[in-house]
Amino acid sequence: MDQPSAEDDQRGLPTGYQQRPHRMNSRFKATLVLRGLVVLFVGLAAAFLLNLWGRPAPLHPIPLVDPAFLDTATVRRSYADLVRAKEDLSDFDCYACHEKNKPPVLRYDEHQNLLIPREHSDIVMGHGQHGRNNNCFNCHNETNLELLQTRDGRQVKFADSSQLCGSCHGPTYEDWEVGAHGRISGYWNRSRGPIKRQDCVNCHNPHAPPFPSRPPAPGPHLLHELAEAPVPAATAH
Amino acid sequence: MDRRSFLRTSAVLASGLAALAASLSPLRKLDDYVSLERFVQKYYKELTPEEMKQVLKRIENEVERQYGIRPHVRDLKPMDGVEYVYALNLTRCIGCRKCVHACVQENNLSRTPEIQYIRVLKMPHGSLDVEKGEHNYAPESVPEKGFFYMPVQCQQCKNPPCVKVCPVHATWQETDGITVVDYDWCIGCRYCEAACPYWARRFNFTQPSIPKERINPDMAYLGNRPRRQGVMEKCHFCIQRTRVGRYPACLEVCPAGARKFGNILDPNSEVSYILRTKRVFIQLKEELGTSPRFFYYFDT
Repeated sequence: MDQPSAEDDQRGLPTGYQQRPHRMNSRFKATLVLRGLVVLFVGLAAAFLLNLWGRPAPLHPIPLVDPAFLDTATVRRSYADLVRAKEDLSDFDCYACHEKNKPPVLRYDEHQNLLIPREHSDIVMGHGQHGRNNNCFNCHNETNLELLQTRDGRQVKFADSSQLCGSCHGPTYEDWEVGAHGRISGYWNRSRGPIKRQDCVNCHNPHAPPFPSRPPAPGPHLLHELAEAPVPAATAH
Repeated sequence: MDRRSFLRTSAVLASGLAALAASLSPLRKLDDYVSLERFVQKYYKELTPEEMKQVLKRIENEVERQYGIRPHVRDLKPMDGVEYVYALNLTRCIGCRKCVHACVQENNLSRTPEIQYIRVLKMPHGSLDVEKGEHNYAPESVPEKGFFYMPVQCQQCKNPPCVKVCPVHATWQETDGITVVDYDWCIGCRYCEAACPYWARRFNFTQPSIPKERINPDMAYLGNRPRRQGVMEKCHFCIQRTRVGRYPACLEVCPAGARKFGNILDPNSEVSYILRTKRVFIQLKEELGTSPRFFYYFDT
């Protein structure tokens, strides 16, 4: 055996380094790789803990719908509703202005259109097409303004106005009685609880009955538009 | 091994293990995704009343933990002699979409991303072809001249294609005609969504989000209890309301009275009267043979 080389090994690194430079080079490489691995692992650990990926892009919250659209109230309020809520009934207090036993005089223009007096300017006459239903006393009682009357002369209270409507709109009234026309709320199973049936005037203005138009609630939002831009309150087309 | 290489190796090992542990750290929140009780829970139809009580309690706890509100969760069974039918009056509907949002509120539907059971189609007069329907309308006011509006939701078919395709029986038809989903049994394969010809089923692609103040605490197991990511849901005729005798939320909010609901087996109910006397345009896509319990009709 070669004595000096054995000595070299025993003395350790420096000699070997001088003799075989590639060996130190590989050790140096190993150190680098291991250090690199440590950095990589620490980085990975931090990334995992912070959950840098695997988390979906945050969605822009869609604005909550206006609670007005969740309201189950009717379009209008009937006389009975106002009485129940103990609200201002001055609109129904005819004799605050009119004189008793003195029927008001109706005035018409040359086309037989009813001229609405200034005191009642809030009334829009639109009951029946082509202005046919142009006589207040088709429905109101001439001699007692605080009552209504059917065309066959039956007197009806404001609170029972639906009966008056039914005296002309028979089939619709029949549907309404069954619950097929108009709004119902409460219990479909009548043995479990009561129902609330709305009066005609809860939805129809007796002087202009067509159901009023209204703004629609916001439409559906697309999922993919969320990640891009904040969504406006009302959807675009 | 000398000291230096020992230190080097242990540094690598330690950081590697740390990284491994960190990558598994989401498992700490595993309870948010599946609790052990839910994981071992039995199929809905096999639960005894005692087990059901436990399940309802678990759901109440989960909802309370997630939303901070203690709900009242019930398991409501169908009533005898009742088969629900919905009738919608296309002459009356004005397309205001209030039903859509009342449903979202009642049934604890996700607000972001948005899940809605009802889709209102704006259709030109003279056609019942849903292909001509437009659902993104946003005019100043409705109804618009020349159009009618057709809300579409689950038709609660007598012959439901969605039930046939479910590989795990997580959805089925109850005796009162409501097709329900057991959200704890659903595996999220979405076959039912593909099978439904009415686009009535909705999938939770993400965890649904509902603001605390908009939670409806009156819940039912097969109804409006909050869903989780990865399950299907659909209209269930407001089971939590209808099975205690009340009208569904979409009906009560409709300002035009276009929506009618009731028991078709009761000859005195509104829906019986309507199907007897009105011009019922039978059912949507009746040629498919699904036989919906949802009827559209016109009147004068």
